[in-house]
Formats: sequence, structure tokens, C-alpha cells
Amino acid sequence: MEFYLKVLEITCLYTILVLGAYLMTGLTGLFSLGQGAFLSIGAYTASISYLHFHVPFPLAVLLAVLIGTSVGFLVGIPVLRLHRDYFLLVTFGFSEMVRAALLHLAQLTGGALGVAGIPKLAGLPTILVSILFITFLIFNLKRSRFGRNCIAIRDDELAASLMGINVYGHKMKVFLLSSAITSYGGALYAFVIMFIEPNLFNWLESAKLIVITFVGGVNSITGAIITSVIYYSFGEFFRFVDVWRDVLLSIAVLLVTIFRPKGIFGSWELSLTKLLHRRGKGM
Amino acid sequence: MMEVLRITDLSKNFGGVSAVVDFGLIQKENEITGIIGPNGAGKTTVFNLITGIYPVDSGEIWFYGKRIAGLPAHKITVLGITRTFQNIRLFRNLNVLDNVKTAYGIKTSYTMWEEMVRYGRVKQEEERTEELARGFLSYFGLEKYSDSFPYNLPYGLQRRLELARALMAGPKLLLLDEPGAGLNPKEIRQLMETLLKIQRDRALSIIIVEHHMELVMKICETIHVLNFGKKIAEGKPEEIQKDEAVLQAYLGDQA
Repeated sequence: MEFYLKVLEITCLYTILVLGAYLMTGLTGLFSLGQGAFLSIGAYTASISYLHFHVPFPLAVLLAVLIGTSVGFLVGIPVLRLHRDYFLLVTFGFSEMVRAALLHLAQLTGGALGVAGIPKLAGLPTILVSILFITFLIFNLKRSRFGRNCIAIRDDELAASLMGINVYGHKMKVFLLSSAITSYGGALYAFVIMFIEPNLFNWLESAKLIVITFVGGVNSITGAIITSVIYYSFGEFFRFVDVWRDVLLSIAVLLVTIFRPKGIFGSWELSLTKLLHRRGKGM
Repeated sequence: MMEVLRITDLSKNFGGVSAVVDFGLIQKENEITGIIGPNGAGKTTVFNLITGIYPVDSGEIWFYGKRIAGLPAHKITVLGITRTFQNIRLFRNLNVLDNVKTAYGIKTSYTMWEEMVRYGRVKQEEERTEELARGFLSYFGLEKYSDSFPYNLPYGLQRRLELARALMAGPKLLLLDEPGAGLNPKEIRQLMETLLKIQRDRALSIIIVEHHMELVMKICETIHVLNFGKKIAEGKPEEIQKDEAVLQAYLGDQA
């Protein structure tokens, strides 16, 4: 039983990260490999401020989000002027930089030993409520001006700017929101898993977040969440297949890109009102 | 009559190539102006300079008395200039209705935070956007395609959708880059009627870059002819049709 609970906790934690990546890569088309850095910044800020400076838990989480977002702002200023592959490379570099910094600032971060002894202050209820809340926010953004602007920028930046969208400014908003969500996820991670180390989230994990949003469908939050839950939970149950797990993921990605280029869920969204409406009409 | 746009001594070089040389133009309110010229004459470059896509090398552009050369593209749109593109540029992952809605973003006043929790004026303004967008779709006969994706539409309808989107932003000046390209004679006639209608209904000023002579000659009050970036003629359609330099540029020497 405890094993299943653990799996569920990890799955849901990762789903928060997928939501952050969805906003950035799925909706706006910014391919960032820097999500891991924001996760680490969130996790380290929260746990160090809690353990060393005795900041109460809720404040420690808030501090993590604030610092994560501020770093996002500083990184975003130059990086958001770059496009596609250049953006990807610099965010990759940034995430490696953060990892190296955490390794070498051993006095504060514990270096390669990581930070242990973090009390378990968050559990499944907190994570689930967070997911619901974040999904609610992103869903609202997606269905109004903000979301239309994101997709317009992803499809055609030039045409978007000629529709009066401040492309750079909008990307900055997206980048900040995504950093905030990811560092929040990181802070929860620390207090759920109770141990963090610099390598807990390398660039490969960041890349997986992008892959998951694409397999689920870049136009569907529902798709991102479902794919994330399936990947991370089934992953734990299929530990025995070992390295073949990633081979299976790769095959799935290949099949999806060939047969469903818009992702498994396309632009379908789960909607309660529509479900009820259809049932009423179908009878 | 009120002056909408004034361009003076506008120049643009790409490397060693002079794309536009000392171009000047005065656009009056509620008039349709045409810019014609052979391929590569710099017509689209003029549009790209007006809309802020390219920085201006030298020269000035005034829009209702305000200098706009050097402003970023999105600010120029907010001031009231929108355009369509020679090679259609719709948003492929937004459906037809949302494509049109996108252009209305500049007219909405709610903040990102209100959007997130869908609080207050968001709902009203979204409803207003929806209503206006549907209005434009039916104006252009696109209402039954509102849920389709733009690139599944026939070419002629994509052109109309781009026009609808450009109008949704509430422009005072509309720039049309070859609106007739790829349309058949019947669609061209429809386009002419539509353009005259929107000019009348919405008191719009329009500048058209076009190859289709019939269209330009029939609806434009003034025509500017460009060749190799330089203006070689300017005048009313009937004057342009008889102009020596224009005939030479288009047909070569009569020998």
C-alpha cells in the first residue's frame, strides 16, 4: 500500500512539472531544457531556508517560488530574445550551470551529498490540490486572450506581433509563470521526498517533460496530464523492464509522431459542461 | 481631406541592394491607394517598413501626424495599422474563430491575473470578443467554418479570413499585400466588391499592393508605380495606363 502511495505522490509531483512545461513548450512553443534548474532552485531554497534558517514551511515554499521566479526573470531577459535551437541550448547551459553551482557550493547545499533530513510536511492531498489549482489557472489562461496569444506566437511570431501582441513581453510572462510553477513543484518535492541532491533532475528529465507534452498533444492540457500520469506511474510499476522503459517511451514517441503528429489527444479537452450537454442531447 | 499616412524619402538597403529608394506617399482618409510594379520592385518592402517589421534606414513615416518609423511592430498595430500577407499567414493551431479573436486582444483591458481566475470583466469582454468575431465571420461568409482550422479551408476563404482578422483589430489604415493572388476571376470580382464595401461601411483607408491590373485600376483612386525600388510614376489609374515609363517597365522598349 505504501508503495502505491509513494508512486502516486511521485507521479503527481512530476505532473506539476509537466504543467509548467506545458505552458512553456506546449502552449507557447519555447523549448526549454531549463526546467530542471527551476525545480532544483525551488527545492534547495525551500529546504535550506527551512532547515538552516528555520523559516516556517508555508513561507519557505513561498520564498522558493519568489526566488525561482526572480531567477526566471534574470535568465529570461537575454534568453527570450533567442529563438528555437538557440533558446534550447542556452536554457540547457543554464540548467547545467545551476547543477554545477549546487555541487560546488557545498557549505550551503551539501554538495554531492545533497540535503537530507527534510521532514515530510506535504503529502498527496497538498499535491492534488495544487494540481487542481494550477490546472484551473492554466485552463483559464488557455481559453482566453493569454492562450490565444501563446498559440499565435508559437505558430507565427511575425504575424502575432502584427496582431498587436508584444511577443517578447508575452514570452516573459509565460517564462515567469512556468518558473513559478516549476519552483513550486520543486519546493513540494523536497518536503515530500525528504531528500534532494544536485542530480535529481538533470536535462534528460527536462527533455522528458517536453516529450510528454508533445505525446499528449500540445493543444491539450488534458492530454499532458493524462500522458504524464501514465508515463510516471506505469514507469514505476514496470521498473523490472529497466532500461527498456526508455526504449518503450521512444517507440511510443515515434509512433505518435508518425501517426498522430498533433499528439494523442490533439486539441481535445475534458470539459464537464460539454460531457453533460452531450449526454442530454444524445438521449 | 484628412491625411492618414505620410511617407517621405523612405529608403531601405539589404546589403548592397537598394530595395526602396526615396519613396514618398501621402494617403488621404477613406481612399484606396495602389502600389504596383514588377516582381522585386520593393512593394512588399514598403509594407514591411510601414508596419515596423524592418527598421527604416532613412526617411520618415507619419501616421495621423505621429512619427511611427522605429516603433516596434506591435505598437504600430495598436495605433491602427493592420495588414494581410502575400503568402497567407494564419495561425494554424487556432480555429477560424480564434484566429479572428486574436486580433481583438489589443482592445481588451483585463489583466493576466483576472484571466487566470476568470474574474470580473474577463467574461464580459470575452463575450464581446466572441460576438464581434462571429460578426466578422458572417460578414465574410465564413460563419459555418468557425470551428475548422484555417489551413483546411479553400484558398479563397483563407484570404477572406485574413481580411476578417485584419479588420477585427479595428484599423484606421489597412494594408493589403496582393489580396488577389491565387484567386479566380469570379473571386477577384467578389474581392473588389468586398473592398469597396468595407471602405464605405467602415470609413477605412486602404493601400493595396497588387499585380492584378484590373483590380487595381478599378478600385484605386491613386496609383504609385515602383521599379527597382524607385517610384517611376504616380497618378490616377487612367494616367498610369498611358504613362511611358510604366509601359516600358512592364513591357520593355517598344523598339
